[in-house]
Amino acid sequence: MGPGFVAGVLGVLILSHAAYSTIQYRSLLKITEEEFSGPPINVVVELLLGLVFCIWAALTVPGQFRSILPHSEENRVVSLPANLDFMIFNHRGKAFPLDVDLKLK
Amino acid sequence: MVSKTEEARVAVLENQVDNGGGGAWEYLCLVRKLKLRRSDKVLKHGLSILNDPGKRSSLGPEEWTLYEQVAIAAMDCQCLDVAKDCIKVLQKRFPGSKRVGKLEAMILEAKGSWAEAEKAYSSLLEDNPLDQVILKRTATMAKAQGNLSGAIELLNKYLEIYMADQDAWRELGEIYVSLQMYKQAAFCYEELILSQPTNPLYHLAYADVLYTLGGLENLQSAKKYYASATDLTGGKNTRALFGICLCTHAIGQLTKGRNKEDKDSSELQSLAATALEKDYKRIAPAKLSSLTSTLKSLNLSS
Repeated sequence: MGPGFVAGVLGVLILSHAAYSTIQYRSLLKITEEEFSGPPINVVVELLLGLVFCIWAALTVPGQFRSILPHSEENRVVSLPANLDFMIFNHRGKAFPLDVDLKLK
Repeated sequence: MVSKTEEARVAVLENQVDNGGGGAWEYLCLVRKLKLRRSDKVLKHGLSILNDPGKRSSLGPEEWTLYEQVAIAAMDCQCLDVAKDCIKVLQKRFPGSKRVGKLEAMILEAKGSWAEAEKAYSSLLEDNPLDQVILKRTATMAKAQGNLSGAIELLNKYLEIYMADQDAWRELGEIYVSLQMYKQAAFCYEELILSQPTNPLYHLAYADVLYTLGGLENLQSAKKYYASATDLTGGKNTRALFGICLCTHAIGQLTKGRNKEDKDSSELQSLAATALEKDYKRIAPAKLSSLTSTLKSLNLSS
C-alpha cells in the first residue's frame, strides 16, 4: 500500500463527494425554483482534484512501465535461444565425459 | 529471445548457483524459459534437487518437468544411466505418455542406435502422423547421422505443413548455410524476418548471407539490412557496424571507375566507423589501434 494507492482511494472519495454535493445542490435549486446552469465552483475544483488523484494512482499503482523501444535494455535481443527442438547428441562433448559420478538416487 | 536484462540475470544466477549460493530452482526455471543449452549445469544442479526428497516434494507438479529437463540434459552430457533412471520414474508416473515415448526414443538416439530410434519414432508417428515434435526429431536424426540432404528434405516437408514454425526455418537456414547454399538460406531468413520484423538478429543473419553471396545488388541490400539491424539495436551491435563498413568498401571496389556514388551512403559509413571507434575506446582501448588500421585499409578512417 504505497502513497499511490492512498491517493487513489482519496481521489475516489473526493469524486463521490463531488457527486453527492451536486445532487444536494440540484435539490436545493428545486426548492428555490431556479434553473440548473452548472455545478458550483467548489464542486468543479473538487472534481479536478479527484481526477488528478485518480490519474496519478492509475499510473503508479499497477507497476512500472515497460519500454516499447526495440533497442532499450529490456527489449534488446542479444542472443537467440538454443534451438532445443533440433538438439543433436553426437557432438564433440561426447569425447569429454563429465568426471563427476552423478547418479539419480 | 534472450534480452539484455535476462542475459545479465542468467549470468548472476549462474555465478551464485555455481558457488553454492542457492537459487538452483530459479536458475533451472530461467534456463528452461529462455531455452538455453547449459546441459552440464542443469544436470548437476537438477540432480542435486532431485536427490533431495524434501526439496523435490516442495516443487509439487513441477517435479516432473524437472525430471524431463534433467533427462534431456543427461543425454546431452552422455550420462545415459541418469537419463534412463529419470525416464523410468516418468514412465511409472505417466504410463503410455507420448512425451515420455519421445524421451525414450531420444535416449536411443543419444546411444547412437539409429535404426531402433527410427523404429520408435515411426511407431509414435503411427498414432499421430502430424506430431510436430516427432517430425522435427526425425529431421534432426537425419542431421545427426550426417545426412544433411535428408534433413533438408524432411524439414521442407515439415515446413509445408507448419510454415509458421520459426525454429524450423532457422534450422533449415543454418543447414543451408553449412552447405553453402546461400540462395536457399536467404529465403529462410526472409521468412524469419517476415515473421519477426523487430528481431535484429534475423536482419543481421540475412545481411551476412547476402554479403557472402556478393554482387552489387546483394551488397547494397546487405548494407540496408545491416543498417536496419543497427537501427533496431540502437547502434549497440558491433557486427552490424562492421558489416556496414565492409559492405561500403565492397561496393566501392565494384563501382570503382564508375563515377556515381551518392553522398548519403558515404555519410552512413563514416557514422558507422565513428560509432565503432567510440565503442572500442570505451570497452577495449587496447585494440583501438588495430581497429583504426583496419578502417584505414578500408578507406574509412575519419
